[in-house]
Amino acid sequence: MWDYSDKVRDHFLHPRNARIIEDANAIGDVGSIICGDALRLMLKINPVTNVIEDAAFQTYGCGSAIASSSALTEMVKGKSLQEAEKITNQEIADYLGGLPPEKMHCSVMGREALDAAIAHYHGKSYEHAHDDGEIVCHCFGVGVNKIKKVVWENHLTTVEDVTHYTKAGGGCMSCHMRIEEIIDEVWVDLEKCGVPRPGYVPTEIPSIKITTASSIKEANFALDEGSKSSAIYEDTKAIVAEVAAGLPKDGSSLELTAISGDEVCVKLEGPVANGMLKDMTLNFIATKLKEKIGREIKVVTR
Amino acid sequence: MDNRDMYAGKGIYLDNNATTMIDPKVVEAMMPYFTTYFGNASSQHGFGAPVAKAIAKAREQVADLIGAQYPDEIIFTSCATESDNTALWTALWTQKQKDEIVTTHLEHPAIIDTCSFLEARGVKVKYVNAKANGDIDNDEFASLLTDKTALASLMWANNETGNVYDIPTLSQIARERGVLFHSDAVQIVGKMPIDVKNTGVNMLSFSGHKLHAPKGIGVLYVRRGTRFLPYLHGGHQERGRRAGTENVPYIVGLGVACELAKAHLDELNTRVKKLRDKLEAGIVSQIPEVIVTGDRDNRTPNTLNVAFKYVEGEAIILMLNEYGIACSSGSACSSESLEPSHVMQAMGIPFSAAHGTIRFSLSRFTTEQEIDETLKVLPGIIQRLRELSPYWNLNKPKLINATSEFDPDGVDDIHKM
Repeated sequence: MWDYSDKVRDHFLHPRNARIIEDANAIGDVGSIICGDALRLMLKINPVTNVIEDAAFQTYGCGSAIASSSALTEMVKGKSLQEAEKITNQEIADYLGGLPPEKMHCSVMGREALDAAIAHYHGKSYEHAHDDGEIVCHCFGVGVNKIKKVVWENHLTTVEDVTHYTKAGGGCMSCHMRIEEIIDEVWVDLEKCGVPRPGYVPTEIPSIKITTASSIKEANFALDEGSKSSAIYEDTKAIVAEVAAGLPKDGSSLELTAISGDEVCVKLEGPVANGMLKDMTLNFIATKLKEKIGREIKVVTR
Repeated sequence: MDNRDMYAGKGIYLDNNATTMIDPKVVEAMMPYFTTYFGNASSQHGFGAPVAKAIAKAREQVADLIGAQYPDEIIFTSCATESDNTALWTALWTQKQKDEIVTTHLEHPAIIDTCSFLEARGVKVKYVNAKANGDIDNDEFASLLTDKTALASLMWANNETGNVYDIPTLSQIARERGVLFHSDAVQIVGKMPIDVKNTGVNMLSFSGHKLHAPKGIGVLYVRRGTRFLPYLHGGHQERGRRAGTENVPYIVGLGVACELAKAHLDELNTRVKKLRDKLEAGIVSQIPEVIVTGDRDNRTPNTLNVAFKYVEGEAIILMLNEYGIACSSGSACSSESLEPSHVMQAMGIPFSAAHGTIRFSLSRFTTEQEIDETLKVLPGIIQRLRELSPYWNLNKPKLINATSEFDPDGVDDIHKM
């Protein structure tokens, strides 16, 4: 039997705000019955002040899932959107006097529902606002970005932690190696930000550079005529050049390689081509493009 | 009722397939072997003799319950898991030319996980498929047996659904093909009469704590004439088939428990069965959208497994716990694993229902009043949880701005969770 805190028990047995807000203007649906938990968060946001005036939930799941949902509604009520956006899954767990480690994914689900509700309020779909990236855990359908996010925010160091927070790796376990890699990738960035990695001694791997026919070909890659004739070519070229100029002088480089419809393809090299820095750079370009062109432009690497 | 009372042995205990209350008569019989009769059964003096006698008596009591022809076919072990491991290993060790095991996906982890361990080391494991009601097909079983099959291991009754398998017929099929047959009988011994001598079963495992004896004592039945190599090596105890000083008090306790179990077999198949049926009828008539899993006509008399759709099992258990009622769930959240029960998966129960399965398992100590009490609170609990569930939309207002709805049977609504 799980060792739940009195607060978790209280919120499970006497859930707050377990009802339906018929005229909710922000609805966040996450999870599924297949995975064993699902949450619908309903918020009523004042469009003038952006204050969350009411919050309610419907949850399918275990005791801690119901308690986390209840806690979340109590936490966001009366907060402005800007304040609510800052709530982390750890704060939800803390509000409940802590959750058993195996149940941390319940607090992550709450945090996701909040993201989804805010996206819905802004007229976006959750999937659009949150690209989960390549699916790592097929048993529970968990994407690389979600894993990166929990590792980054909660400073997780083991596959077991990741399973507790996201369920990834809790099924057939065939993705454990990949999760290890992702943890390592994120920690490279965390350490760059000055977070010491507990008890980690990296294995020295001598670097070998192999030049292959395909990489030579890529080096000579030139923009095709289709890309150059694109309506957004000039704007994109300028923005990419601007971002490229702003990159740190550590061997990082950025180059425009193709434009196809509303999709821009760039080539990243050096430290900027990996992990968090890569995502940040691509998002930065996408934001700039949207500002300039006025619609969503997808930025990908090749 | 305050659920803290449960820990003092009060409360309504409906989880007897997990473990059982130790019968006070069993405890009473064990006590002298902790104090007066502390001797070692192997000793040649007066301290050892009564102890050796007590073990011999227990062996007879155990043999009598399962219908073993000779008491020396009974080997005392530490638990059914040890018995299961021994059976698998000995079959492979004594038949070096054979390297296949036939079993099912419905088995207890003591078999399944040991099989996967062996599989990773070169043993070929073949699984008989389960039908939707958890039963298996005799012809399919027969078709998997070859002259390379070292052992067929099938459970006699399933722990989650209570399904009883036709071991007399299945073991005969194996015997005709010259294949050793083992059965994990943990869930049937003491619940239904079995007569192992009139079957083709070569080895059979069960444990004490499922029939009102304490934990830490198990049995492996090995039919005379079955080639056997011990799993634990050392002293000559158990006629050289299981080394280690005998766990005397527990062996004595198991003997008494077996005798009591035999005396109560009728009660289990009449009074207790009736209570189980009452619980089932009460649930099905009072609560909508439930599925009784397993083979309803062919179950152990004490077991009821129900899937409550649109709610999650652990939440049900926690709420029942508040009323002092104990039962168990096949849901992922109630265990360390994140996947729902492997038995429900093997039977093809949809995930949407598998997460909400609850097992009620009764015993001869269960009273009608306890079943009535359970039926009084359960419908309210399920309704309360369904009111919380986004999958349950009966009598709920609709959202004006919702762009999608939760679909319990759809696979498209996995929001990358």
